[in-house]
Amino acid sequence: MIYAVFAPLIITLLIPLLSKWKERVHTGWFILPVPILIFIYFVQFVGENFTPHSESYSWIPSLNISIDFYLDGLSLLFVLLISGIGSLVVLYSIYYLHKSEQLKQFYIYLYIFMFSMLGVVLSDNVFVLYSFWEFTSLSSFLLIGYWHYRERSRYGALKSMLITVFGGLSLFGGLITLSVITETTSIQAMIEQKDLIVNHSLFPLILVFILLGAFTKSAQFPFHIWLPDAMEAPTPVSAYLHSATMVKAGIFLVARFSPILGGEPSFFIIVSLFGIVTLFWASFMAVRQTDLKGILAFSTVSQLGMIMAMLGFGTDVAIFAAVFHILNHATFKGSLFMIAGIVDHETGTRDVRKLGGLMTFMPMSATLALFGVFSMAGVPLPFFNGFYSKELFFESAIDLPGFSGAFVEFLQQAIPYIAVIGSIFTFVYSMYLFFSTFRGKYKEHELKTKPHEAPLGMLISPSILVLGVILIGLFPNMVNESFLAHAATAVFGDGFHAHEVKFWHGWESPALRMSLIVVGVGTILAITRKKWTSVYTVFPRRLSFNELYNYIVDSIEKGSTKITETYMTGSIRHYVSYILGSILIITGAILFITNGVTIEFDDLAPITIPEILVGLTMAIAAIASIFTNNRLSLIIIVGVVGYGLSVLFVIYRAPDLALTQLIVETVTVALFLLCFKHLPELKNLPSHPGVKSINFLISVGFGVLVTLIGISSHSSKLFSPISEYFIEESVPLGGGHNVVNVILVDMRGLDTLFEITVLGIAALAIYALIKLRHDKEAK
Amino acid sequence: MSNIAVLPILIPLVAGIITIFFHKKIKAVRFFAKLVTLLNLGVAVWIGYYVIQNGTVVLETGDWVAPYGIVMVADRLAIFLVITTNIIATACVFFAQHSLSLKQEQFYFYTFYFLLITGVSGAFLTGDLFNLFVFYEVLLMASYGLVILGGERVQLRESLKYVLLNLFSSMLFVTTVAFLYSVVGTINMAQIAQRVQEVEQTGILTTIGIVLFFVFATKGAIFPLYFWLPKSYIVPNTVVSALFGALLTKVGIYSILRTFTLMFTNDTGVTHELFIWLAALSMLFGVIGALSTNNIKLIIAYNIIPAVGFMLMGIGLLNDAGISGSVYYLIHDMIIKAALFLMVGALAYLAGTSDLTKMKGMIHHYPLLGWMFFIGSLVLAGIPPFSGFIGKLLLLRGGIEEERFVIVVIGLLTSLLILLSMMRIFMRGFWGEKPDIKVQPKQARKLMMPAVFLLTLSIILGIGAEWFYPHVDTITTELLDQGSYIDSVLKE
Amino acid sequence: MEIIMAVLAGLLFATAIYNLLQKQILRIIIGTVLLSHGAHLFILTMGKLKRGDPPIIVEGAGPFTDPLPQALILTSIVISFGVTSFLLVLAYRASTLNKTDNMEELRGSEHE
Repeated sequence: MIYAVFAPLIITLLIPLLSKWKERVHTGWFILPVPILIFIYFVQFVGENFTPHSESYSWIPSLNISIDFYLDGLSLLFVLLISGIGSLVVLYSIYYLHKSEQLKQFYIYLYIFMFSMLGVVLSDNVFVLYSFWEFTSLSSFLLIGYWHYRERSRYGALKSMLITVFGGLSLFGGLITLSVITETTSIQAMIEQKDLIVNHSLFPLILVFILLGAFTKSAQFPFHIWLPDAMEAPTPVSAYLHSATMVKAGIFLVARFSPILGGEPSFFIIVSLFGIVTLFWASFMAVRQTDLKGILAFSTVSQLGMIMAMLGFGTDVAIFAAVFHILNHATFKGSLFMIAGIVDHETGTRDVRKLGGLMTFMPMSATLALFGVFSMAGVPLPFFNGFYSKELFFESAIDLPGFSGAFVEFLQQAIPYIAVIGSIFTFVYSMYLFFSTFRGKYKEHELKTKPHEAPLGMLISPSILVLGVILIGLFPNMVNESFLAHAATAVFGDGFHAHEVKFWHGWESPALRMSLIVVGVGTILAITRKKWTSVYTVFPRRLSFNELYNYIVDSIEKGSTKITETYMTGSIRHYVSYILGSILIITGAILFITNGVTIEFDDLAPITIPEILVGLTMAIAAIASIFTNNRLSLIIIVGVVGYGLSVLFVIYRAPDLALTQLIVETVTVALFLLCFKHLPELKNLPSHPGVKSINFLISVGFGVLVTLIGISSHSSKLFSPISEYFIEESVPLGGGHNVVNVILVDMRGLDTLFEITVLGIAALAIYALIKLRHDKEAK
Repeated sequence: MSNIAVLPILIPLVAGIITIFFHKKIKAVRFFAKLVTLLNLGVAVWIGYYVIQNGTVVLETGDWVAPYGIVMVADRLAIFLVITTNIIATACVFFAQHSLSLKQEQFYFYTFYFLLITGVSGAFLTGDLFNLFVFYEVLLMASYGLVILGGERVQLRESLKYVLLNLFSSMLFVTTVAFLYSVVGTINMAQIAQRVQEVEQTGILTTIGIVLFFVFATKGAIFPLYFWLPKSYIVPNTVVSALFGALLTKVGIYSILRTFTLMFTNDTGVTHELFIWLAALSMLFGVIGALSTNNIKLIIAYNIIPAVGFMLMGIGLLNDAGISGSVYYLIHDMIIKAALFLMVGALAYLAGTSDLTKMKGMIHHYPLLGWMFFIGSLVLAGIPPFSGFIGKLLLLRGGIEEERFVIVVIGLLTSLLILLSMMRIFMRGFWGEKPDIKVQPKQARKLMMPAVFLLTLSIILGIGAEWFYPHVDTITTELLDQGSYIDSVLKE
Repeated sequence: MEIIMAVLAGLLFATAIYNLLQKQILRIIIGTVLLSHGAHLFILTMGKLKRGDPPIIVEGAGPFTDPLPQALILTSIVISFGVTSFLLVLAYRASTLNKTDNMEELRGSEHE
C-alpha cells in the first residue's frame, strides 16, 4: 500500500527529467499510468467480503508518529475516487493544457496533491493525517496560482490557502488535544476510547477545533467563499481538487471522526446546521452566477453541504446516503466541470451571458452535460444516479435522530423544509446551467472564435464519468454491498445493515413527494428565472462574507502597519522608555508580590565623614549632569563622578580598582574631549513637559527599584561567599599575595583573557570605523 | 579529556587573532577561515559524540575546582547548540565572499566573525554566571564590529541604537550578578541553583531572577524589549544579518532556558506565568510587525520575534513537552533563520531592491531560489513534515497538557500569520509577470549554495526527527532534573 | 554605610537613565558612563564594605574584604571602557555622517 501512496510523489521527482521530451510528447502521457495503476491496485479490494487492511511503518516512534495506513470501506471509497478521477483528469488535461504551458510544474503540483490526498484518507495516525492535510491545502494553493501572472489567480490562491490552512491549524489543535487526553495518536485506538472523549470536559473544544478544520476544507458556509475564487485554477484542477476530491477531505474528516465525536447532540446540531444552511445558501447563490465554473463552484458547495448535513444526521440511512452521494457527486460534477472546461476551451469564454445555442455546434458535449445536469438536479428517472442519493437524503431528513432540547426540536422541524427549498434551487441552477449554455439563441458576435466540438480525447474522460452516472443509475445495487456498505459501516459502526436501493418506493413515499415538489416548483422557477433574479439585489454586496474576508485581510495589513508604526518610531528615547518602563513595572510588581524587600541595619559598615563627602560630591555631580548645558562642564562632571568612584575604591580597600579606575577615567575623559571637539555646543532642546515628567518618573523609578533590590540583596546574605576559599588558597595554590590579582590571572583567568579580547575587538572596530572614513574621504 | 570542552571557544579565538595579521591577504584569509570553520565544526561534532557517549564534560579551567574557578560545562544542550552554531558559521563563511565587498572583508570581517563564534560558543558552554557576562560582551563587541562594517550612514545610525540598548542591559547584567552573589555567595551556576533550591527561592531571589530574565530578554528580543532588533538586523550585510538572526537572540533564549530550568524554578506561579504572557505578546506583536512592512529583510527580521515567543512559551510551561519543544524549536530556528536571511539577501541582491512593491516574477529567472524560499516559509510556519512542525507540535502539546488554551490558540493563529507574511514575499516577489532585469545565474548559484545546505539540514531535522528527538528528550530530562547538572558540576 | 552607598548607586542609575532619555548623543553617552559607575558601585557594595584589610595577604593582615567583587569590577571596568570608547567613536561618526547630534533626527524610515 505504501508504494501506491508514495508512487505519485516519486514520480514528481522524475517529472523534471521528462521535460527533455516535452517538445514531442505531452508530459501527461508519461505519468498517466501512475493513477491508473493505483486505481487497479485498490479496486482489487472491492468485494462483499472486504475487511479493513492496515500497514505500519515507523517514522518518529519516539513522538508516537508512525505511518500507519488503514484501509477500510471509507478510505477505499476515497482512494478509488482519488485515483480514478485522477486518471481521468490527467487524461483530460493532456488535451486541455497545451505543450507550451509549464507542464512540469502543473504535474508536479497535481501529483503532490494526489499523494497527499491518498495520505489523508489512508492515515490512521492523526499527525500524519494532519501532515498530508496541510499538503493538500498547499498543493491546492499552487494549483490555483498556476497562472500566477493573473491578479485573480493570486487572489484566489491566497484566499484558499488562508482559509484552509486556518482550518488546518484548528484541526491540528483538535488532534493534539485528542491525543493528549487519549494518550494515543491512532484514530482506531481513539474510537475505542469514545466514552472517555465525549465525557471529557474538553470535548466541546475538540469538536469545535476539528469541525472548523472540516468546514473550511469542505467550503461550508460561511467559509465557502474561497471555493468560487479557486476556479481561477485550470479546469482539470477544478474538476479534480475543487469538486471531486480535496473539498471532500472535510467530509472525509467528519466521517472518519464520526465514530468518535458522533452520536452527540452537539455534533448533530453543529454539523447538520452548517450542512443544511450551506446546502440552501450555496444553491440559492448559484442561480445568480454568470460564470459557468462559478455556478459549478456554488453547486459543489451546496452538494457538500448536503453530504455534511447527512453526516450530521448520523442515522444509518443518512450515512449510507452520504457515502452514496460522495460517489455520485464525483461522477456528475466531475463530468460537468470537464464540459465547462471544453466550452471554455472551444469558445474562449465561460460567461453564460455570452453563451447559448451551443447544442448544434457541440452535440456530444451537450449530451454529456445533459446527463450530468439532470443527475445533479435529482430528476426522478432511473438512469440518473443523483436521484437515488437525493431521495435517500429526503428520506433521512424526515427521520432524524431523536435528541431532545428546544433547539434540536426546532432543527428537526426545519430541516426537511430547508432540504426541499435547497433542492429546488439546485434544480433551478442545474437547468439554468444547461439551457443557457446549450440551448437558446447562439450569440455569434459575443464569441471570438467559432465554436466546434472538442477533440475526441478531451471527451473521453467526461464520457466515462457520464457512463458511471448512467450505470449507477440503472444498477444502483451494483456498488451497494460490495462497496458502499463497507464505507457506511466504517462511519456508522458495525451496526450498519445494507439496504437495497430502490428506484420506486410507491406513491406513499414522502421522499418521492418531496422530489416531485422539487421538480414541479423548480421547473416553474427555472422558466421564470429572469423575472425574480432581482431578489439578489436585495442583499448588498458590502455585507457579503467575501467582503468580510477582504476586510479582514486588508485590515491585517493596514492594521499591522499602523500598530507597528505607532511604537517602532526609530527613536531611541522611545525604545529606552518602553523597555525601562516595562522592566520597571513588571519587576516592581514582582518585588511587591513576593515581598522581596528586606532591609537589615545590623551588619553594616560604620558611616564616616570622608565617604559621605565623596559620596555627596558624586551625587551632586551626577544630578548636575542633568542640568548643565555646557559640553565641557558635562564631561568634567562625569570625570568628577569617576574620580570620586576611585576615591571610594581606595576607602573600601580596593587599591587595584582605584588605580584602574583612575587610569580608565582619565583616558575616557580625554577621549570625550577629543571626540567632541568638533561637535556643536549642547543646546537646550525643548521637550514637552509631559515627556519630561515621564523621563523623570522612569529614571527615578528605576533608581529606586535597583536601590531596593540592592539593599534587599545585601540584607539577605544567606550563604557564606565562595571568596573565602580564594583568600585561603591564594598563597598556597595561587602563589600570589594579592588575592584580586590571583583571581584575575589564575582562578578566573578565562574572564581576563576574554576581557582583553573585548578590548582588542573594540580597538579593531574603532580602527575600522576611522579607517573607513578616511578611505571614503580619499575617494 | 575534559579539556575538549574549551576547544570550540579556543579554535575561533586563535583563528580570529591570526586573521588580524593577514587581513590584507584576502584570498589566504578566506581559505583559512573556511578551513578553520570546518575544523571547528568537526571538533564540535566530535565533542557532541563524546558527550553522548560519556555524559556531560565539565572542564574546571586552570584546575580550580568548582565552584571556585570558572567551569565550562559541555552538556548535551550546550554542545548541540555549539554544533548548530558552527553549522551556521560554515554556511555563512561560504556565503561571505559573495556578498561582502573586498573592503568589508579586509576590514576584519573574518576576525569579528570568528570572535562572534567564540562569544556565542562560550556563552553556551560556560557554567559561570559572570563568565557568561564576559562572553556576552565578546559576542556583542564582535557584533558591533560586524554591524558597522561598511560604515554606511544608515548602518551607523541603527548600530548606535543597538549598542546603546545592549550596553544598558549589560550593565544591568553585572549589577544583577552582584546582587545574586550577595544573596547566595556564589556565581557558579550549579551552586547558585543548589543554594536557591535550598532556601526555596525566598525573598529577593525571585526579583533578581526576573531582572536577570529581562537582561536576557533584551538580547533575546522578547516583548516588550525587542525594539532595537528589526532595523539593526537588516542594515548590515546579508551574511551579518544571517549570523545575527540565527545566533544572537538564541543566546538570550538559551540563557533564559538555562536560568529558569536550573536556578529559578521555585516560584513558577510568578515567573513562568509571566513568561507565557510575554510569549503570547511576542508572538502577536512580532508577527504583526512582519505583516506591517514591504521590506523583505525586515519581514524576516520581525519573524525572529514570534519564534522567540514560541521558545519562551515552552520555558513558561516547564513541562516535558514544553521544554522539548523549546529546545527543538531553538535548534530549528537557528538553522532556518540563517537560511532565510541568506535567501532574502540573495533575493534582494538579484532583484536589486528589498522593496516588495518594486519586485515581481522572480521565479521566472530564479526558480530554485523561489522554491527554496517557498519550502523555507513552510518550515518557518511549522508546516509538517519540516522541522518547525516538530517543535510546534511539542509546544502545543505542552500547552494543552497544562490546559493553557489562550496561548495555544495564539500560537496557532501566529503560525497562520507567519505563513501569510512569508507568502506575501513569495506571491509578490516571485509570482507575477516576468520582470525585466539583468539575470545573473552564476552569481545566483554561488549565493544560494549555503542556503541550500541549511535548508536541507532543516528538512532533515523535520523528516528525520527520530534521529534528533531522542537527544532532545534526554536534554529535557537533564534540564528538568536540576540535580543532574548540579551533580555533574559540583561532583557531589 | 552600605545602604547609603546603595542609594548613591541608585542615584547614579537614575541620573544615568535620565541622561539616556535625552536627545543629544553626548548626553546619552554620558548616561552610559554614569550607568557603569553605578553598576560598579553596586558590585562593590555587595561585598561587605570596610570589613577588613585590602585582600593582599601579608603578615599580620586580615581579615580581608571580599576580593571577588573587586575582581569582577576590574573585569567590568575594562570591558565598559572598551565599549564606551567604541560607542564614543561610533557616535561621533554617526553624528558627523548624519549631520546631526540629535537622536530624534536619527529615526529613519522604512526604505533606505
